[in-house]
Amino acid sequence: MKHPTYRHLVVLMLILALVLSSVALAACGGGDDASTDTGDGGDATESPAGIEVTKVAVITPEKGNDYGWNQMGVESAQKAAAAMGAECIVQDGAGYGDITPIINQLAEEEPQLIFAWASGYQTVAANMAQQLQIAMTSADPGTEEANIPMLVNAVEENAQDGAYLAGILAANMTKTDTIAIVASADDLNWAKMGGGYIAGARSVKPDIKILYVQIGQAGYADAAGGKRVTQNAISGGADIIFGFGDGSSFGMMQACETATPPAGADNVYFIDVIGDKSSLDEKGIYLSSVVWDFEQVDTQLIEMLEAGTFGEESVYLGLDNGLSLLQTDLIPEDVWTACEEAKAGIMDGSIEVPLTTSAEEVKAMIAAGE
Amino acid sequence: MDAEFWAAVIAGAILAGMPLLLAALGEMVSEQAGILNIGLEGMMLFGAYGGFVVANWTGSSWLGFLGALIAGMAVAMLMVVFCVRMGRDQIVVGIAILLSMQGLTSLLHQVQFGESYPRLDGVPSIPIPGLSKIPVIGPSVFDQPLMFYIGIVLIFVVGWVLNKTNLGLNIRAAGWKPVALDNAGVDVLKIRTIAVLVTGGLAGLGGGYMAIIAAGVFVPFMTHGQGFIAIVIAMLARGRSVWVLIGSFLFGIALSITTALQLVGVQVSTDLINMLPFLVVILALALFARQSYLPAALALPFERGKR
Repeated sequence: MKHPTYRHLVVLMLILALVLSSVALAACGGGDDASTDTGDGGDATESPAGIEVTKVAVITPEKGNDYGWNQMGVESAQKAAAAMGAECIVQDGAGYGDITPIINQLAEEEPQLIFAWASGYQTVAANMAQQLQIAMTSADPGTEEANIPMLVNAVEENAQDGAYLAGILAANMTKTDTIAIVASADDLNWAKMGGGYIAGARSVKPDIKILYVQIGQAGYADAAGGKRVTQNAISGGADIIFGFGDGSSFGMMQACETATPPAGADNVYFIDVIGDKSSLDEKGIYLSSVVWDFEQVDTQLIEMLEAGTFGEESVYLGLDNGLSLLQTDLIPEDVWTACEEAKAGIMDGSIEVPLTTSAEEVKAMIAAGE
Repeated sequence: MDAEFWAAVIAGAILAGMPLLLAALGEMVSEQAGILNIGLEGMMLFGAYGGFVVANWTGSSWLGFLGALIAGMAVAMLMVVFCVRMGRDQIVVGIAILLSMQGLTSLLHQVQFGESYPRLDGVPSIPIPGLSKIPVIGPSVFDQPLMFYIGIVLIFVVGWVLNKTNLGLNIRAAGWKPVALDNAGVDVLKIRTIAVLVTGGLAGLGGGYMAIIAAGVFVPFMTHGQGFIAIVIAMLARGRSVWVLIGSFLFGIALSITTALQLVGVQVSTDLINMLPFLVVILALALFARQSYLPAALALPFERGKR
């Protein structure tokens, strides 16, 4: 028998290499099914594989007890996780800076999904999701371009629809026929709500006077500014204040509580956004709030991750899944009925709410109606 | 817009200007003594928190202001220990004070008020007979809480102390010629300690004014950079307290005008309108900064025997 030559050994090595690489490719292929389609048929390649979600995390820029954006973000994630039988890690008060170290720390806990709960987190969330291969949400703006299959899913709010209902409420409740929007900052959602509010109010009273004032470029926590600006709006004749803010909302509420109502009005009422502060209202000024409850949205995102459809399309908060106008005892029955009718109209498409995306568009809309 | 609206605009300027005025007045004293108090905003913030807590517990705005004063001085003690007594870098310590007070007040607020977010009742105003009846200016300037009048009086008191008393002379000497002051037998560290405590007290009062009168509520980070604007105003004032008054209300008026312009529907970009107060400060810097002179020993530690 001939001993194997050098040439035989090379051929043998090549065959072994070929076999091993085939096995390795097959193994990798299984892992890549979530994001690639090889086009050779079969269940696994037609629908990306989902991930069983046992642990989620939520990161918010401020403390999760602000009766606003951060609290709703934390509570919604916790409720959605509980409903899906998953654990929820809360990292609130992460600030508006670079959250890369925080995400890295959270990644060690091995959550399958991280709710990165601020528009400012969008870029870093997308980068870290790809780097760590952990699914993350991307809040505001929830454009489809932000979506990455099984890694990033955008979340957007149809906030203008809720604000439209608030506009109907305000127009029905005002005694001075002057209402005001007080915005804490230059913010996409505030702009969307401004336009919806104006349209809703004018659908009831086309000649209603609407004042618009912004505290600053980022006065989210400027409570003193909120009070000062709201006082000026009240002195301008407004008896209903629609306030967009986080910490600054408390200053706005304080202004409504301590203000002398403008001529013709008995009270100054406050309409809030995102959270529900009615339990803090001791003076009877908290008329309502456009509440953003993300529990259903978060549940949907977890389900999408488990179904393997995460990152395919943006998820919207709307009147059908958590966006609502808060009913309080201060709202008369007939006014609430009008709001409910409008809600039905928006949901069946008979009412189309305009979309404004900047403070300038909101101001132009006000000016166009004067 | 009627007279009531414009009165509210002027009142808004006062509301925005008073915390600045008190804090800038304090900073001016500190700077004159040679201590650059970068942590001013931290003192304001802790003063706001302390003032709010006391006013909320006792129901008395006066006790609240006392609490704010003490809280501001307590934070200033850190500056005294680290910068005046131990001679550490004033900028580093100032930044540390700011950051730690932001964290501390945020934490304390969450623990105490995170669920309840209490708000204070409005502080009653005191109309000055006759003057309060003047249209527009009357109800806005001469119908204010007593603390406003006290703040205005403090401007002149501080000016008088700095310029007409031995203590004021010593304070200025501690900033300009600390060695000469030491040679004259005056304890420079003691003078600087007094100045820094006065700064803390006034900054605390400024924060207290913000929480008790201007907002009626405490929320984390509510000072919103005002401490740094106060430092700029103090630098521009060059030791003259009346300039602190002018600078503070100039900023307050600019801030209030931004609101007024929006409410009357001026079709200018909101971004541009909101830049107005800061443009005023930059303009003031450009016009006056070249003439501004700061104490020669500002931000320099003093140690006996070293020149």
